Amino acid sequence: MSPMHKIARTFQRPLHLLGDWAMGWFHHIGGLGLLTWQVLVYLLPWKWNFDGPETWRTMYRVGVKSFPIVVVTAVLVGAIMVIQSGLYIEQYGAHGLLGWGAGYAILRSVGPILIGLMFSGRVGANNTAELGTMKVTDQIDALRALSIDPVAYLVMPRFMAMIVMMFLLVVVGNATALIGGALTSQFLLDVNMVLFFQSVVTYVLLEDLMHGLMKSVAFGFAIAIISCYFGLQTSGGAVGVGRAVNASVVGSAIALFAIDYAITYAAL
Amino acid sequence: MSDQPLQSDENGETSAFRRLLSSLGEPVLEVAQTIKGIFQVFGLTWYYMLKGRPRWKATVEQLHEVGNRSVLFITVTLGFLGMILIYQAGYQAERITGDLQMLGGLFLQLLLREFAPTITAMMIATRVATGMAAQIGSMVVTEQVDALRMCAAQPVDYLVVPRFIATTIMMVVLSIFAVLVAYSAGAMTAYFSFGLNVRTFVDMSFIGWFDVLLGLSKALAYGMAIPIVACHAGLNVFGGSEGVGRATTNAVVNASLAVVFLDFVISGLGYVILGLVT
Repeated sequence: MSPMHKIARTFQRPLHLLGDWAMGWFHHIGGLGLLTWQVLVYLLPWKWNFDGPETWRTMYRVGVKSFPIVVVTAVLVGAIMVIQSGLYIEQYGAHGLLGWGAGYAILRSVGPILIGLMFSGRVGANNTAELGTMKVTDQIDALRALSIDPVAYLVMPRFMAMIVMMFLLVVVGNATALIGGALTSQFLLDVNMVLFFQSVVTYVLLEDLMHGLMKSVAFGFAIAIISCYFGLQTSGGAVGVGRAVNASVVGSAIALFAIDYAITYAAL
Repeated sequence: MSDQPLQSDENGETSAFRRLLSSLGEPVLEVAQTIKGIFQVFGLTWYYMLKGRPRWKATVEQLHEVGNRSVLFITVTLGFLGMILIYQAGYQAERITGDLQMLGGLFLQLLLREFAPTITAMMIATRVATGMAAQIGSMVVTEQVDALRMCAAQPVDYLVVPRFIATTIMMVVLSIFAVLVAYSAGAMTAYFSFGLNVRTFVDMSFIGWFDVLLGLSKALAYGMAIPIVACHAGLNVFGGSEGVGRATTNAVVNASLAVVFLDFVISGLGYVILGLVT
């Protein structure tokens, strides 16, 4: 290889990498868009197409089985938020504001996003692994051969179940986080539980709760689409399943933060 | 345990009470088993790290894998986090006091104490823990780990120790990086949305040795917990590609739970210690 060739190669390399990277991203974005479009079309009343019994089973698997993890996470998150606000409250002696500080942070931002991350880890990763295993063992092709639409049979039930269950789990999570916060304020900070709840009721607005719940629905949507997409994209045996799960949780995490920002920006 | 059949009465049916007890006891035993396994891996890792010979090449590879390849991911997520927090806090501060002078200083303190290490650890738990569990898990199902054992190379020594060292170092580095990213994103948001001068925003007067120490000890604790939990999930894989999927799920859930739990413990200890010091 001539020296000129080598120099040209060296200069082209970053462009190659950039192009590769951009092609990969656009490939995924296009695929996600197509899957979203397909799902939304099946939601239209005159194209209503999904498997009812499968949806109930998925709801049980998605919701009830994640319940303990969400409760544990929420209690700890509530406790942490109370400790963090407690450090300031102590400084200024404003014990009446403890419930406001912790409650506002939990309901509006921290609760939905941490429960969303746990949900993406527990349910999203599980879902990608399941669909990925079906893909690498050719079960999805078998469904197609039986003229069963994989989107209607596999994606739609998961999509519905994840949105509904994410919403319900955030409702439960918010309540348990406040209870965890109240217990921490009673036993660690020596602030009366009643004062804590009074402060929550007085200063935290209904709007704050609604803001968090709105986010939870959007998070459920994003996690469902992303985890199903990466599951159906899997190729290459056991290694491929691991790679798909990794891509799915990373994509979900980025989507959660981006959506959180977008909703916060739009709401204020 | 689940592999022993429940005792049944003469009709061959287990009583409802027994079934209730077993359904309560099984998750407890499972959790206890997992925790025991995690501590076993933790102990073995320390043993081989102190006794075994260092594996520089593998460690540097893992440092690259854990650190450099997470930079973009951490930048995106923590950048968004900084913008979100400043939006929420600035909006409240403007509504209630109308005074944004303290926003920057308090934000930096909160980032150091809580958000930068914890959210970075959650991100590392999703990106790196799934990667480790998937990699080690596929080595287990393709019997490469058994092959290692046959060559008298201990899997924990060969696979876990480099990952443990790399993640512990990189977690601290990435947490510091996360503070910078989130703070810059917050400063930009404060400037463009609330018209707050960047020079007013950058305010170091609130932070003290306590905040830095708390943040760094959190980062160190998460950095030790995540690889151990992930490798434990990876080493305990059974049953083909389905098993690998299950292991990655377990890795990310257990690692995130470990992060939240350690956060609670260290924050609580920090609160108590601060009360004793001042």
